Amino acid sequence: MIHVAVLTVVEVARRRFALLAAIGVFALAAMTGWGLHAMRAGIGAHPHAMGESEARQMAAFMLPFISFLFSFVLAFAAAMSAATMLSAEVESGVLLPVLARPISRSAVVGGKALGLALVVAAFAALYGLVEYSVVFAMTGFVPPHPISAIGALAGAGIAVMLLTLALASRLQAIASGLVAILGFGFAWFAGIAGSLAAVYKNETLVHAATVAQLILPTDALWRVSAFALEPAIFVAQLQQRGAWAGPFFVTTPPPPAMMAWAVVWAILVLAIAARSFSTRDV
Amino acid sequence: MAKRFGDTLAVADLSLRVERGSIFGFLGPNGAGKTTSVKMLLGLVRPSAGKGSVLGAPIGDRAARARIGYLPELFRYQEWLTGREVLAFHAALAGIARTERSKQVARALEIAGLSTRGNDRVAGYSKGMQQRLGLAAALLGEPELVFLDEPTSALDPVGRYDVRDLLRTLAARGTTVFLNSHLLTEVEQVCDRVAIVRAGRVVASGTPADIAGARLGVRVRASANGVPLQETLAAFGNVVVEDGGAFVGGVADDRVPDVVAALVAAGARVYAVSAVSQSLEDRFLEMMSAP
Repeated sequence: MIHVAVLTVVEVARRRFALLAAIGVFALAAMTGWGLHAMRAGIGAHPHAMGESEARQMAAFMLPFISFLFSFVLAFAAAMSAATMLSAEVESGVLLPVLARPISRSAVVGGKALGLALVVAAFAALYGLVEYSVVFAMTGFVPPHPISAIGALAGAGIAVMLLTLALASRLQAIASGLVAILGFGFAWFAGIAGSLAAVYKNETLVHAATVAQLILPTDALWRVSAFALEPAIFVAQLQQRGAWAGPFFVTTPPPPAMMAWAVVWAILVLAIAARSFSTRDV
Repeated sequence: MAKRFGDTLAVADLSLRVERGSIFGFLGPNGAGKTTSVKMLLGLVRPSAGKGSVLGAPIGDRAARARIGYLPELFRYQEWLTGREVLAFHAALAGIARTERSKQVARALEIAGLSTRGNDRVAGYSKGMQQRLGLAAALLGEPELVFLDEPTSALDPVGRYDVRDLLRTLAARGTTVFLNSHLLTEVEQVCDRVAIVRAGRVVASGTPADIAGARLGVRVRASANGVPLQETLAAFGNVVVEDGGAFVGGVADDRVPDVVAALVAAGARVYAVSAVSQSLEDRFLEMMSAP
């Protein structure tokens, strides 16, 4: 399994995915930095230079938006990377000589999942390190729980990757990637509907959203990540208002049981992927 | 064993026994079920019916697979790796000890004639070089059994000669070779035993000579010098006079000196006498065209 995981990481690096991902992260950080600099310095037609406190508030307000943009990029990258594995590799003939070796198919699936999970986690960590550093340098703002925020973000990316891998055990690359990305989009949408329903006390819709989060816990993980970025005072203000906080802000994070479920979900989906790939003809 | 894909019967009642140390040729036209049969023997495709054993273990057994090499018909190696890295990866998967790997990889590259290109990326390899790399991977760790599915399809004549030579070396070392091919002359030259498969069924098996059938006769190249060849040779079998000689049907080996003696006694000058047998190709074509 380790050999397959190492090969998967090498593949990502050699195919320049890592380079492109790094360029993307630095470009995003550069834009964030320039935007915050422009706001602080009051650049524009009607300049209004922000004070330190105002800049920190602005950073706290901006970071969940940027984080969501990155979570989509991460999910998309995870889905596209995993979609080219398994079925596509059987069809191209890359996996035939590998599967004839004394290695179980579960180990092949596990190795690919492990390698891709490391890549997704590294991508998320790089984003967190660079983006949060730039925000801190420009405004002095530090998210309250940066490691939880990045961990949950990486978890959402890994969930999309595992779903794609399970689909790719039987389906072709485009179908696997497309279904996983659609799933990610639906889960996010269900999360928004659920948060709206909570404000209007529509229990049926809240339950439906919870079911959607259980089926694919990416939105629940995103909500954990977003909540970890919001300062307590910011959350208190949102709660005090009582109105819907919008699609990018979270006033009540998912319960710890949901995080436990996300872990169980990941193990189940990985087991399904391994079982599905082990029982097919290649 | 049998294998059905939906409504299509790819392999029907496949029954085979391959002796250790032999070079076994599995012949058949495209779509006859050769590749599916090999994949079943490797555990890559599950039989719809029946069972089998390879190296004394049930098919697909992981420990047995450590002693098997496989060159698939349609394959590709990771083009972003070098040839050496591909082999190192397969050496690791094959369970070759870490300390042995680089030596085994270098040896496999040498056998496949890729020693000077081992550090190049596979993306830069020609189709023939990729097939050589596939052969090198199949031979890593000196397996007891190698399945080669159309191993020379992308090779030039020199490459084909090298592979035939390699197969003989493997057999001399005691390695069993299961060769899937539709190149009949190649199979006839190297295989100890063959089986011919048609539409998923084995229609003949035995040595290439057994399958090709008996001697047809001898072809004599001689200058007649006024000697009536038809009459002189009629005693040995059916004679067909040809330009520069004659074909005599049904002549066994032990009667060849008598044929030559009769011609010389009659005053003809004999330049050559050659045995004429039905080739494996003739027999194969006959079987494939049978209803």
